[in-house]
Amino acid sequence: MCLHLPHLAIELRPTPQDGPIAITDGHGSRRCLVACNSSARGSGISAGVDAPSALMREPTLQLLPRSKADERRALHGIACWAHQFTSDVSLDAGRWRVWLEVGSSLRYFNGLSILFAKVREGLARLGYTASMGIAPTLEASALLSLHPDMLPILNPSELGPTLSALPLAGLDIGAKVIEQLQLTGLRTLEDLLAIPSDALARRFGEELPNYLQRLLGHHPDVRRRHRNPPIYRRRFEFLEPVESREGALFPLRRALQEFEGYLRGRDSAIQELTVTLRHRGPAETVLKLGTTAPQRDAVRLFALLREKLERTQLPDAVTEVVLFADEFVEPLISQGDFFDDHQRRHANWSALLDKLRARLGADAVRRLGLRDDHRPENAWCIAVDGATTSLGESIPDRPLWLLDPTPVAELPQLLGTPERIEAGWWAGEDSSRDYYLARTAEGARWWLFRDANTNRWYLQGLWA
Amino acid sequence: MSTPDHRVVEPLERLLRDSRQVWRGQRMPRIDAQSTGYASLDAHLPGGGWPIGALVEIAPACNGLGELSLTLPALRSWCQEGRSVAFVQPPHTPYAPALVRYGLSLDSILWIAADRDEDARWAAEQLLREGAAAVLLWSPVQQDRALRRLQLAAEAGGACAFLYRAPSALSNASPAALRIVLSAAGEDVRADIVKVRGGHPRALTLPLHPLSS
Repeated sequence: MCLHLPHLAIELRPTPQDGPIAITDGHGSRRCLVACNSSARGSGISAGVDAPSALMREPTLQLLPRSKADERRALHGIACWAHQFTSDVSLDAGRWRVWLEVGSSLRYFNGLSILFAKVREGLARLGYTASMGIAPTLEASALLSLHPDMLPILNPSELGPTLSALPLAGLDIGAKVIEQLQLTGLRTLEDLLAIPSDALARRFGEELPNYLQRLLGHHPDVRRRHRNPPIYRRRFEFLEPVESREGALFPLRRALQEFEGYLRGRDSAIQELTVTLRHRGPAETVLKLGTTAPQRDAVRLFALLREKLERTQLPDAVTEVVLFADEFVEPLISQGDFFDDHQRRHANWSALLDKLRARLGADAVRRLGLRDDHRPENAWCIAVDGATTSLGESIPDRPLWLLDPTPVAELPQLLGTPERIEAGWWAGEDSSRDYYLARTAEGARWWLFRDANTNRWYLQGLWA
Repeated sequence: MSTPDHRVVEPLERLLRDSRQVWRGQRMPRIDAQSTGYASLDAHLPGGGWPIGALVEIAPACNGLGELSLTLPALRSWCQEGRSVAFVQPPHTPYAPALVRYGLSLDSILWIAADRDEDARWAAEQLLREGAAAVLLWSPVQQDRALRRLQLAAEAGGACAFLYRAPSALSNASPAALRIVLSAAGEDVRADIVKVRGGHPRALTLPLHPLSS
């Protein structure tokens, strides 16, 4: 699964955005917009436009220089967050993309559509706009993320047939190469694939055929995996010092969402969290947040943090916020608690049974079934899938606890009339029993029988 | 004045509403409950039934007193809603024909037979947290910490944790919301509510035996 974040450069800003803002790359008159906020987009401005024409269109547009370091930090934050969905995360900071290998997580998340929705929902909570593509190779999923109306590709054999109709424009081979290809009359990927690799390599260099091989899965695409760091540290730098507490809190809402994802990814929680607010110069305000129980819920942590901050005197405006945690504990709430109640109950139940079986042994996790047999000890079974769990005929009154028949030394007070149960003669186990209800001196209700052949008494059930 | 930020206000309100750790002065906390199916017992329980998201201790003087019948009507309701209930480490075999006769669906019932009490308690916690409507656990555990963990798990999962214990265990304090001792009283069963969060201890007799209802 590829997450493409087309507005990353603007959405990463740690301050609320009012008015049209755009991020620019380059210098002087060659400055070009790489991203802009929704207000700017509303004025008809989009990434790719050069700064002077954008200003002409919208004179109030605020231009901010791009910070590749901030983009890297933001993508790293997203990658940490994404580890809750899979252990295999990789990223490409230059292309604002994060990949999640989700093939092995599908079962846990109960299918692609649920996982897809979770990722989308989570990204929205982080405050990022993303388009997503799902395909068996990294580049194919990246390509699909540009075509959000296309269905996921699940099978490597579908890659060629499905992708071939796509236009060249989305291919990650550089705008110049695309332009040259289009000039020679090529329109779709199919046209491009029809050209022999060595011809492409001679004309455009090895990179182009290599890319196509990786796109279609003919060549492995080996990337460095993003590792979840053992210590969590997330820094937000304000462009201008922030005076208000609200302003200083703003990036922490996102930070704690990312942090929650990170904690889920490593299946842990925290009991202590440090938030440092740096001021101009060496001054800083350190907030230490402690929780009595292991915690990782972003909303709760944010509520705690806000409360703490409200009772803290800030000596000066804030220039930077740092979230830091280096001690981790086992979570109280085990995996999966981000599902809403109803979904969670359904989606996690089978995963839970797997977990129980894994620790207790398969035999320890049992379901009950019925058997059509008159002998009480044979009228039930431990059910395997598909066992009978209801019988057409009505069941006579029976005790809730069943015991292995145990000889009774002293007969308690018998109540009512006996029920004769005869069964098993056809199997050579001739048995004829008279069952009684009885009450012990303590008040317990027993289910006893007298073996008609031996005249001995046995306890076989309790009316619990 | 700036307008409140809904992204903050809504989660906070939800937190305030859903968390039992936050005391809101203006009204009594709402107690979610599931009717026990015994009107006279419901009448003495705040919320009118088994408290949801809480630990309930049941201490029968001996097995076969009606200790399971006490929870049966509630279990039946949960089964009918398609929710799961689990018997963890029961002292005897839960007898399938009787369960079906009393209206429980076997598809909704799980029986956990652990080798060690520790494992049984772990399983109970997992089940409480991850979707079971109720867990019936038989455990000799005494430590306050273990009881607290069950209480927390029930709270986290919005489930009912029924812990079956010996009456002698009830001499120790417990985080349970409700503690009931069962003993024989002639044909009926005497239920001593020795502790009830948000209510008053009292004793009543219940027609617990399935045959008598």
